[in-house]
Amino acid sequence: MWNPHEPISSRQRQILGLAGLGTAVAIWAGVAASGLVKPYFLPAPWDVAAALLDMAQAEGDRNLFGAAWASARRVGLALIAVVIIGVPLGVLMGSSSKVNAVLSPLVDPMRSAPVVAVLPIVVLWFGIDETAKIVFLWLGASVFLIPMVRDAIVAVPRQHGVLAEDLGATPLEAIRHSVFPLALPRIVDAIIVAVGVEWTYITVAEYVNAKQGLGYLIQTYKRLSANDKVFAGIFVILVMALVTDQALKLLKRRLFPWETEA
Amino acid sequence: MKIELSGIVQEYPAPEGVGVLRVLDGVDLTFEEGKLNMLLGPSGCGKSTLLHLMGGVRPLGVVSPTEGTVLIDGEPCTGHHDDVVMVFQRYLNRPDLTVRQNVAFPFRFKLWRKKVPKAEQDSRVDEMLEAVGLADKAHHRPSQLSGGQNQRVALARALVLRPRVLLADEPFGALDAQIRHEMQVLLVDLIARFPTTVVFVTHDITEALILGDRVVVLSTPPARIADDFTITEARPRSENWLRSTEGSQMAARVIEQLRGGHGPEGGGQVRVTV
Repeated sequence: MWNPHEPISSRQRQILGLAGLGTAVAIWAGVAASGLVKPYFLPAPWDVAAALLDMAQAEGDRNLFGAAWASARRVGLALIAVVIIGVPLGVLMGSSSKVNAVLSPLVDPMRSAPVVAVLPIVVLWFGIDETAKIVFLWLGASVFLIPMVRDAIVAVPRQHGVLAEDLGATPLEAIRHSVFPLALPRIVDAIIVAVGVEWTYITVAEYVNAKQGLGYLIQTYKRLSANDKVFAGIFVILVMALVTDQALKLLKRRLFPWETEA
Repeated sequence: MKIELSGIVQEYPAPEGVGVLRVLDGVDLTFEEGKLNMLLGPSGCGKSTLLHLMGGVRPLGVVSPTEGTVLIDGEPCTGHHDDVVMVFQRYLNRPDLTVRQNVAFPFRFKLWRKKVPKAEQDSRVDEMLEAVGLADKAHHRPSQLSGGQNQRVALARALVLRPRVLLADEPFGALDAQIRHEMQVLLVDLIARFPTTVVFVTHDITEALILGDRVVVLSTPPARIADDFTITEARPRSENWLRSTEGSQMAARVIEQLRGGHGPEGGGQVRVTV
């Protein structure tokens, strides 16, 4: 029982996972049904489900699918920017202690800095439209991704680079053909973390002048005190984050089968 | 191809943080064309450091060598040399590539892409796969191979470049006795097919005597050359030869040299299976 390495079948894992979720929902339902907590503070699961259906059928900017798509699009676009800018920057920092010395005082403290506090500045510089939201998500995720990519590169034993150079590689070729491919699974891990971070920041990003999106929906219903719909909005964000996370992990297993074989 | 080491001194910062630790204490050595040279010595005596100096691999943050010069064909060796290739105890095969792609790995670099035409690259890779007995495993990944087979891939990856000097840093040190013996036989066979000068570091006296044309013995650190002799007995050398008067005298001589070093305990960690 108390062995983290004990093999567990995927069926068993699913059953145990559902049991955990089921228990949580059962407790939630029990508390809601008991009347101990007012529905305003804790709407019942069935009210949230009904709210979900309502939102799915809503028209215009309050439509759930439209909102989910708008948020997913922002997360996706920001992720592309995170990867295009962050991965090369992290690789550069991991490959040269001098570059790292220059950039790490800029990047590392940002991990523990309140990125949310930067939102007004992002709005000031990039306006209140779509760009500011994507820049904010990009910033929030990049401060996690860049150091993780750097660490992934540094974690590859030096001997791999030494061998490549001994076999005739230039230092850059050694990074490209030896170090980078070996760091890639951990770089993908960093990307998975980055998507997760983006989903946690999506509501914040959509605080300012959003016309559509899950964060926008949550705020709108919060103002209307429709807390069942607020819960429903949060639930949808959780599901979408989970789906992205699982999809990327599956992709990772497909791309790097050798990682689990070894 | 001639490698000349003269007056090599190597010092590292002492582990206690005060002063320096002298590992090599004025080593003069010359390796001539086409021989299997064994560099034998106790752990920590600087034999790998010597090998790395010849391969142009320098430790980080330390001046190397502290004193002395390394000449390759009369030219000072300051870094990697195209004709000198190393194999390590760790195979360092790329886990995501197949056996064939690993053997062909050096041809990803511009240097070799320019030097060796594509058709010749392919034929060399095929030839190496066949020579190390992995032709039928060409499409396997390293994780599907044993330790010995992985080291075969590493050897093939080095010899596919047809180096004039092969520097081997205890390549069979992590393998068990039976596999190590198979690899020693394979190495002798490979060198006969693809002639090259070999400098082979080991701390196994049996390995040194079974393989070497010449055996150089380093003392305990600060290391100097304790002994340097040639073996004329033809290979493959059997267990019987090792137990013969000549073989056992050589083993005794090496052990004596190692014990006669600077260390109070004598030979340090040396594997003797004679």
